[in-house]
Amino acid sequence: MQHEIREQDGSRIVALSGDVVLQSSPEVRRILLECVEKGDSLLVDLSAVDYIDSSGVASLIESFQNARKRNQGYVLVSVSEGALRVLQLARLDKVFTICDTVEAGLAEVG
Amino acid sequence: MGDTIEYDYGPKGGEVTADTLALLAEMGKQFVSTGDLDISLNLAVEHITDYVEAAGGALFMLDEAGETLTCEACYGDTDIIGMKVGASQGIVGACVQNDTGEIIRDAQTDDRFHKNVDENTGFTTKSILCAPMSVKDVKIGAIELINKRTNDGFFEETDLALLSALASSAALAIINARMAEQLVEQERIARELELAGEIQLSLLPKGGEGWPVAGINIPAHTVSGDFFDYFQLEDGRIVFNLGDVSGKGMNAALMMAKTHSLFRCLGKTIDHPGRLMARVNEEICETATRGMFVTMVGGIYNPKTGVLRIANAGHEPPLLQDQSGAFHSYPADAPPLGISPLIVPDDGYPVEEIHMNGGAFYLFTDGLTEGYVNGNDELGVEGVETLLSQNREADVTSRLAVVIGAIEQTETTQLRDDLTMLGVDDREAMETRAGSSNMQAAIGSEQVVIARVSVPATADRLKLLRSVVGDTARLAGFDDKAAFDIMLAVDEAGQNVIRHGYGEDTSGDMELVISRCAENLVYELFDSAETVDPTTIKSRDLEDVKPGGLGVHLIHEIMDSVEFLPRSQEGGNILRMIKKVDS
Repeated sequence: MQHEIREQDGSRIVALSGDVVLQSSPEVRRILLECVEKGDSLLVDLSAVDYIDSSGVASLIESFQNARKRNQGYVLVSVSEGALRVLQLARLDKVFTICDTVEAGLAEVG
Repeated sequence: MGDTIEYDYGPKGGEVTADTLALLAEMGKQFVSTGDLDISLNLAVEHITDYVEAAGGALFMLDEAGETLTCEACYGDTDIIGMKVGASQGIVGACVQNDTGEIIRDAQTDDRFHKNVDENTGFTTKSILCAPMSVKDVKIGAIELINKRTNDGFFEETDLALLSALASSAALAIINARMAEQLVEQERIARELELAGEIQLSLLPKGGEGWPVAGINIPAHTVSGDFFDYFQLEDGRIVFNLGDVSGKGMNAALMMAKTHSLFRCLGKTIDHPGRLMARVNEEICETATRGMFVTMVGGIYNPKTGVLRIANAGHEPPLLQDQSGAFHSYPADAPPLGISPLIVPDDGYPVEEIHMNGGAFYLFTDGLTEGYVNGNDELGVEGVETLLSQNREADVTSRLAVVIGAIEQTETTQLRDDLTMLGVDDREAMETRAGSSNMQAAIGSEQVVIARVSVPATADRLKLLRSVVGDTARLAGFDDKAAFDIMLAVDEAGQNVIRHGYGEDTSGDMELVISRCAENLVYELFDSAETVDPTTIKSRDLEDVKPGGLGVHLIHEIMDSVEFLPRSQEGGNILRMIKKVDS
């Protein structure tokens, strides 16, 4: 798993790539929670995520709930087919705000 | 009222020659036969006035509080019906209070006489004869006669003796008539209760043969404060409940009807037991009175997965008898319904998720556990468990009947409380889920092993497991999407072994055996971790978005059949997952 953080239009964008699985999810959890902590809206780019398991999904849920408590925007963008399938099976595709592109995500939190 | 009643005792208004006893007997009959106290009283005053040859007569009755005397019947020259005097006022009052009769020879000079009565009626009262109506210590009222029609208008001692006898007899007749009225009222109430009981009974669901859910309710009295219900949703899931309203009798029965209707109505749209119960609680709290509350377990059972989700609001712990025969109890961790809407968390009552794996789930009220068997012994939870174990082979309806039947119900030993029990049996549904009985037989005999992977139970080996599972699934004919799902399910199963099976211990192994069995791929994951009680394995309640606990849900969602089995006497677990190739 790799990650990249950048800022754009007052929002923070975290792009994850590779496998978000049991081995890597503690690190993903830490990264996402820290980003929420910093106070801006957060876009999580999942376009390069090949595979995500339940532990990875749990990290998304936890950071999403923290953001919501702080009234900060939180959007999943460019979700890969595999990641979307897992979110659907977990019936979370309606819980998260999911946008097709980074631009749409920025408009959503803007 | 229009009633005309013929009577045939002595001459009216004439000399006193008729048999007094005949009059007494006639009056008594009158009171019983008319069935209407007002008519009887008027007739009695009429008879007595004529019989004693008075110009007028009035009957005063004391009210229940003993404070006021009211003229209830009147005959002759004046009409004072409805006139009220204080219980100890006037001549009538003195007569009632002293319980002795009196002759007033000159009413106009008696201080107690109300002159305004004459002024109002235009009648001149000369003399008064008054006798109390009482039976033992019970004061009922008095009869007052005015102006003798003979003898220059004056009453004699013989008249008083006669009136006293007649008044006593009237008193007895009035008491009898009142008792008769009460009896009629009691019978009416009993009939209404019976009707209410019938309506209650019609509220209970009728399942029928082969249903996995059944219930029995036997009220201790005509109406019941217990209830149960079940109904099927369109997708095949079955919603059920069982509850007990505090208190007994009509108010408990009405509360039961209300809770029952709320649950049934809301249960068709809210398919989350915790939130459903929270809504019922809100409604009950809004209108509940007299501190009544309801203990209840509500749940939803899915025969397609064997998953049962329940919420327990202060009710007796339900029991699960798993496939091995062991019992598990689920105590309430939330208060009863109707206490307060504020003590329920925002996301509803806590929900317990139970994987039945062919087990049976039982709900009952304390009327059952506290019911008597063998004289003064209570059946108890242990008694219920023993009876259920002895009758495991029977169908669920018969099992309930045996347990309920153990409580003594004879004419001499009245039930202490309503008896209510409900059972949810997953046995048949599990057999259906496992594919069919011939597939069950095929497992082990015609299983062709496709792959066998043994790895250390650590996170870095899951990738290997995933690639083996994905490749073999595609080889077996699954498309990419299905292969991805299967890979996810087996991956989650492996994670559970690592995280929950071995926990801190990183030296354990696990083995995955993938085999083909007819049209199914069978995935068996073996570990050597401590044997897990399958009923404690929880998948996450998806309605409540929380991190964690997702894995088991994903496995159930993807696979056609999921079974947790003990590996051997020495410990270890097998998780067997089956996926149909054509599905």
